[in-house]
Amino acid sequence: MLSFLPFLLLGTFVTRVASSSDYHERLLLRPLPHGNLLASFNFLSNESQTAFEQQNFRYLPRSFGQILQHAHAKELHLRFSVGRWDAESWGQRPWNGAREGGTGVELWAWVEADNEEEAFARWLTLTNALSGLFCASMNFIDATKTIRPVMSFVPEGHHGNVSNLHLLHGTLPHEVVCTENLTPFLKLLPCKGKAGVSSLLDGHKLFDASFQTMAIDVRPVCESDGTDCAVEMEQTVDMVLDIARSKRPRDNPIPRPLPIEEIECDTSKGYNGHDTCYPLNKGTEPAWTLEEVFGRPLKGACPLTDENGDAANTVCINAPPERTIEANTTGQFVETKLAYDTMRCYKLPEGADFDLVLPEQQMTTGLVRLDPPLFAARTINGHGQERGSTQSVIRNPSTVQAIEIVYLESLPWFMKPYLHTLRAHLDTTDESPITETYYRPAIDRKRGTHLELRMIIPPSSTLTVTYDFEKAILRYTEYPPDANRGFDAAPAVIRVLSPSIGDSKGMYIRTTSLLLPLPTPDFSMPYNVIILTSTVMALGFGNIFNLLVRRFVGADEVPASQGGLKGVLLGKLNRLRALFGKA
Amino acid sequence: MPATIKQKLPVFAAAAAIRLILPTVFPALPDLLSGRVEVSTPVTSFKRLQEGVFLYTHNVSPYDGGVYHQAPLLLPLFSLLPSPSTTPLAAILLYTLVDLLSAQALFQIAGSGQNVVTRLFTSSRKDLRWSSLAIAAGFLFNPFTVVTCIARSTSAFNNLFILTAIAKASQGASTTFILSMAFATYLSMHPILLFPPLLVLLYDARALKRHSMPNVWSFTIAHTVGLAVAIGALLSASAFMTGSWDFLAATYRVRLLLPDLTPNVGLWWYFFIEMFDSFREFFLGVFWLHAASYMPGLTIRLHKQPLFVACTLTGVFAIFTPYPSIADAALYLSLVPLFRHLFPLMRYTFLASAAILYASVLGPAFYHLWVYAGSGNANFFYAITLVWSLGLSIILGDSMYAALRDELDVERPELRGKDVRRI
Repeated sequence: MLSFLPFLLLGTFVTRVASSSDYHERLLLRPLPHGNLLASFNFLSNESQTAFEQQNFRYLPRSFGQILQHAHAKELHLRFSVGRWDAESWGQRPWNGAREGGTGVELWAWVEADNEEEAFARWLTLTNALSGLFCASMNFIDATKTIRPVMSFVPEGHHGNVSNLHLLHGTLPHEVVCTENLTPFLKLLPCKGKAGVSSLLDGHKLFDASFQTMAIDVRPVCESDGTDCAVEMEQTVDMVLDIARSKRPRDNPIPRPLPIEEIECDTSKGYNGHDTCYPLNKGTEPAWTLEEVFGRPLKGACPLTDENGDAANTVCINAPPERTIEANTTGQFVETKLAYDTMRCYKLPEGADFDLVLPEQQMTTGLVRLDPPLFAARTINGHGQERGSTQSVIRNPSTVQAIEIVYLESLPWFMKPYLHTLRAHLDTTDESPITETYYRPAIDRKRGTHLELRMIIPPSSTLTVTYDFEKAILRYTEYPPDANRGFDAAPAVIRVLSPSIGDSKGMYIRTTSLLLPLPTPDFSMPYNVIILTSTVMALGFGNIFNLLVRRFVGADEVPASQGGLKGVLLGKLNRLRALFGKA
Repeated sequence: MPATIKQKLPVFAAAAAIRLILPTVFPALPDLLSGRVEVSTPVTSFKRLQEGVFLYTHNVSPYDGGVYHQAPLLLPLFSLLPSPSTTPLAAILLYTLVDLLSAQALFQIAGSGQNVVTRLFTSSRKDLRWSSLAIAAGFLFNPFTVVTCIARSTSAFNNLFILTAIAKASQGASTTFILSMAFATYLSMHPILLFPPLLVLLYDARALKRHSMPNVWSFTIAHTVGLAVAIGALLSASAFMTGSWDFLAATYRVRLLLPDLTPNVGLWWYFFIEMFDSFREFFLGVFWLHAASYMPGLTIRLHKQPLFVACTLTGVFAIFTPYPSIADAALYLSLVPLFRHLFPLMRYTFLASAAILYASVLGPAFYHLWVYAGSGNANFFYAITLVWSLGLSIILGDSMYAALRDELDVERPELRGKDVRRI
C-alpha cells in the first residue's frame, strides 16, 4: 500500500507552471536505510519567452540567459556529480535518474545551427562560457570528449517550431566537483543562498556527502497548443548524507570513542578492557536536526516564493507517520500532511530561522523504499597496462516485465575498443539482446569513441556486455602531472525506454566512471632519449656513410704523415700554402 | 627439375607442418603472439585487421577510425575467410601458403646467381655459397618467420611481395616484377625505395639473358611509368572499393606522421613520445630523410651488385622505418645468407649475433617488467630496442664493408688478404 506513494509524490513534485514569471523552490528530505538521509533541493525559475528574447530577465539569471542566447542553445543540461548512488540499499534514484550526472561534469545541449560545423563552434562557445561561469574545466570539452548521441537523449522541452537542432554531449569524468562550483550555482538563485531552502547548502557538507549531484536544466515549455511559451530553468541538488558523519562538529571532525559512561553497552559480548565496551545496537532511527546535518540553520522562507497554496510548502519530509518530527522556530509556520501522512510539508516563516528536530526513535514500520527498474555495474577486467576488457553487468529484477534500454558509452580516444570482440550475453537465453547498434570509432587525438546499443533484457535476467580494448601510449606532454594515477573513462549512460514512466524526462541510470591506467614513459629523460637514439642512428649512418664515400687502399699506400698535433698543424699549413700558391 | 622438387618437398612440408601443428597443439598461441608488440605493429596487427574486416562487413568505413591502418584490398580477402574465432586454422593456412611462396621466391633469387655473379662484377669467392634450398630453409625455419606467420601479421604479405619483386627482377621478368613491386609499395609504402636498385638488377638480368643492352633511358622510363600505373590502379581499385579516398590518410599518413606510438622494436616510438612538440615535425622529416637517404648512396656506390643493395635496404627498413617488427628483421636475416661468400670478410659477426640474441631474449622480458610487472619502466624496453637496432646496424655496416672489400679484391687482386685502409 505504502510503496506506491513516494512514487506518486516524486512525480507530482515539480509543479508545472507555464507562462508567468515565477519562482518555486522545495526541499524534500527522505531518510534512507543505515542512517542515511537523502536531501533533494529543487529550484524552478520561469521566464516568458518574449521577456527572455528581450533580455528582460527577472528570475532567470542574466549571466546564464545571455550565455544561452549567445550560443544559440535551446535546451541545456549540466551536471556536477560526486559519489555513487548505492541502488542496492537506497533503491530508486531521485527523479528516476533524470537529474543525475556521471562522476565529474556532464553537459549536453541542443544547439540551433545550420550545419554540424556551426553547431560545434557554438558548442565550444557554450562550454567556454559555462567554464568561466562555473569555475569548472568545461573548456576542456573539446572534439575528443564530445559525441552526438542518437538514441540516448530526447529533448525535454517543446521545440515545436525550431528545426535544425543539434544535440552535443560532453563529459569530464576527471573533474573534481567542489565548493568553487557550488558558489556560482547558488548565485544563480534569486535568493542566492541567503534565505529559503538554499540557505542550507554548505560546501563542507555537500561535498562530504556519500553521493551528490548538482543539475541545471534549461528548456522551453509551452502550452499544449504551442503558444504561451516560457523558458524554464530548473536547478536541482540531490545529496545523500551519512547522518552520523554530518553531525560531527566542524572544529572537531575526527570521530573519537565516547567515554564509557555515555555508551549503552552490549553486555552479551565480552570486551577485553574496562574502559570501553561494545555499543548496543538498538536498531533505532538516529536523532538529527536540520542544523546539525547541514551545518547551518535554515534562514526562513525566500520572499519570492508564493505565499499561498501548494507551492508555499517548501520543506517536505517523506517519513512514516509514526516518526516524531518537531518544528523549531520563533516565526509562523504551517504544517501540512499529505499522502496518508507519509509526507509532512512545512511553510517556512519569513525572517526567522526554522529547524526540524527528529529524536532518536524505535520504529515499528520500516522505511519505504522503491526498487529500481534495473541494476548496472561496469568494471575493467584484465591486468597490465597494454590492453584490457570492459564488462558491464545489467540486471533486470522484475519477474514479469522485459526492459528495453539504450546503452551509451563515450570513451576517450586512447582507449581503443575492438568492436569485433563485443559480446552481449544473457544468462537466460542464447538470443542476442542487441536490436540496434550505433558505433563511431575514435580517431587519434581528434575524436572519442561513441557506442550506443539498444537492447532488450527479459524478466529476471542478467545481461553482460564485454569488449576488449587496447590502451594507447601517449606523447609525454599529453600525460597529466599525476600520470601514474591513470585516466578516467566516462560512465556509461543507460536510458530505460520501456516500461516508460510517462514524463518527458525519462529514466536514466549511470554507472561509475572507470580508472584506466596507461603505460607511461619516463618523464625525466627526454634529452637522454634524444641523445641515445640519435647516437645509435649516427653509428649506423656514420658507418655506412664512411664506407660509401671513402675508398680502400693498401695499408702501406696510406700517405705518410706525422702523427700528433704537430702533424695535423703542418698538414693544414701545407694545404693553406698550396691554396695561396695557386692563387 | 624433379630432383630439386624431391629435395624441396620435405623441407617445405616440414615448414608447413610446424606452422600448422604449433597452433593446433597450443590454441592460445596465435592470439598470444599477435598481441606481442615485437611482432604486431599498429600497421600490421591481425587484431586490428579483424576489427577492420568487422567494420567493413558491417558497412562502417574502417578508415573513419583510429584502429585500422592497413591496405584496403586486405579487407575483401579476409572477409572471405571464415571467422578466426571459429576456424582459427583457416588464416594460419593462408599465412603458411604465403610463407611457402616467399620461400619459393627466395629459392629463385638464390638460383639466379645474381648474388655472386652480376653483369659488371664477378666475385672472386663465387664458389663459396650455400645451396638455394638451404637459403629457403633458412627463411622457413627462422623462428622470427615462424612467429610472424603464427601471429598472422600482415607483414608476411609485405615480405612475400618484396621477395617476389627481387626474384622476378633477378630473373628479368618485367611485368611480374612491376606487379609485385606495386603490391609491396601499396601495402607498406617504403618498399618503393627498393625500386631503383631492383631496376638495375632487372636491367642486368635482362642484359645477361638476351645478351643485348636495352636503352637505359627508355628502359627506366617504361618501368617507372609501368610502376606508377600499377600503383595507381591499385589505389583506384581501393578507392572504388571503399567508396572514398579516406584510406590514403588512414594508411600512408599514419606511416608518415606516426600518430600511434605503440611500442615496437624500432627507434621511432620512444623518440617521438619524448620529443618536444615544437620539434616533432622537424624530426619526423629528418628521420624519414635519413631512412630514404641510404637508397641513392648505396645504389650508386654498389651499382655493380644491385641484389646486395636491395638486401641492405631491407635491413635499413628493419631498423629505420617507423613501425618495424621482427618480420622485417626476418626478411633481412633471410637475405643475408645469399652472400655467404662475404662472411669470411666480416669482422663483427660474433658481436652482432650476440647483440641480436641478447635483444631477442631480454626484449620480451623487459617489456613484461615494464607493462605487466610494473617493476621496470619504459627505459628497460627502450634500451633493448637500442641494442636490437645496434645489432642489426652492425650486420648492415659489416656486410657492406665485406662487399666493398670483395669488390676491391677483384679490382686490385694484389691487395687480397692484405691489410687495407679507408681514406
